[in-house]
Amino acid sequence: MISTRFVLKRLLLLVPVLVGVASLVFSILHLSPGDPALTIAGERASEEFVRQIEESLGLNDPIWVQYGRFLVDAAQFQFGESFIIQRNTAVREVLANKLPVTLELAIYGQLIGISLGIPLGILSAVKQDSITDHLTRIGALAGISVPIFWSGPLLILLFAQVLGWLPTSGRISVLYNVEAIRVTGLVTVDTLLAGNWEMFVSAVRHMILPASVIGVYSMALISRMMRSSMLEVIRQDYMRTARAKGQGAKITVLKHGFRNAMIPVITVIGIQFGGLLGGAVLTETVFAIGGIGTLLVEAIKVGDYPIVQGTVLTFAFLFTLVNLGVDITYSILDPRIEQ
Amino acid sequence: MSAPPEPADADADAPPALERAAVRLRLVGTAALAGALVAAVWLVATLVVGDFAGSVETTFALGSLAFGFGLLGWSGAVALGRGIESMQTHLDTGTGWTEADARRAMARILGFGLGVMLGATTVGTAVSAVA
Repeated sequence: MISTRFVLKRLLLLVPVLVGVASLVFSILHLSPGDPALTIAGERASEEFVRQIEESLGLNDPIWVQYGRFLVDAAQFQFGESFIIQRNTAVREVLANKLPVTLELAIYGQLIGISLGIPLGILSAVKQDSITDHLTRIGALAGISVPIFWSGPLLILLFAQVLGWLPTSGRISVLYNVEAIRVTGLVTVDTLLAGNWEMFVSAVRHMILPASVIGVYSMALISRMMRSSMLEVIRQDYMRTARAKGQGAKITVLKHGFRNAMIPVITVIGIQFGGLLGGAVLTETVFAIGGIGTLLVEAIKVGDYPIVQGTVLTFAFLFTLVNLGVDITYSILDPRIEQ
Repeated sequence: MSAPPEPADADADAPPALERAAVRLRLVGTAALAGALVAAVWLVATLVVGDFAGSVETTFALGSLAFGFGLLGWSGAVALGRGIESMQTHLDTGTGWTEADARRAMARILGFGLGVMLGATTVGTAVSAVA
């Protein structure tokens, strides 16, 4: 049972993390070259017009006033309006549209990674030095080594161009209007909630390739970690004792070994999920899925500061939330960790 | 034969809460003072030669960079430090890194950053009031 004190302590730690990230974002944007007012006004704008914009954005205020205002706004998740990418649209709204795209990709990718990586890791450890073990290790090494910008186009070439089984890009067929049935922003969930089977199938078919690309990389890391962790656990005295008392090999591994071997694997899953959110930009680019990663890169390129600030803080918030989940899972798997 | 001595109670040896708070305050305070002094000296120098307004902005931004880095590092040490320490012991790869040392180092960095920010604010406000 998890203690409320433990969860509260972890939740309280979110505050300095987010203030730290907000300070870093603020300082980096102020230290980097470029004038937001000039970016909005355009290079041919008059000096008077640029001054007006500076005044309206509060850029003429002393920097400590801007910093204080930024922290207060960030605490309320208010980052103003987008300068360029979606002019005059609230950053919150832009993020609300883009975040589900990346989240959906990361969730399915991670699900593929977990559902393949854990059984393969266990199998590899239990059958150490067998053909299965060697094949799994080679597969894991290949999964880690092959970059997404290479495996993505190859999969598109094979499954979309040569075999014609799956679509090449996008989230759903252009024949369907997903905005009309939007509830969560996750296309597969929304189409299911709407009860439209054809749309759901189209969304799943579009998700298979990008999620697999992310999933294979994730699977490789998880299976390697699971293997080494399980190898360590199955050599423990309590495992030998369980076998000596007549318990079957499978039950010993799954009942006594699995739970203990999962502790370091949970860390990898947590860290990876955070990495997937940020690193999805490559997959989003290869498969033409406009998610939050692509949005961030675009915002940095054109100098849309409110979007950059909002996106980075959203990433930080999600990452810390995932790590909170990891901590809670730890304490369920091994209650001694709470101490 | 006499009985072996009872192990000392760790809580009994720990300094009282007030004393601990004073130690922490001194740690952050001295770093903040150093930061404020550095910022003040730098800004006074740029007041004589250079772009003062631009320097105030840059100094404050650099201070907030150090503050943010320190704060992130401090919370990281608090959240994960014990785990990393145990892992080092478990794997027998101890490098002498401890959670307490990391926490103290990060507290100094964040204190220094805070001092630079306060120094820049004070000097900047004072100069603009005089001007």
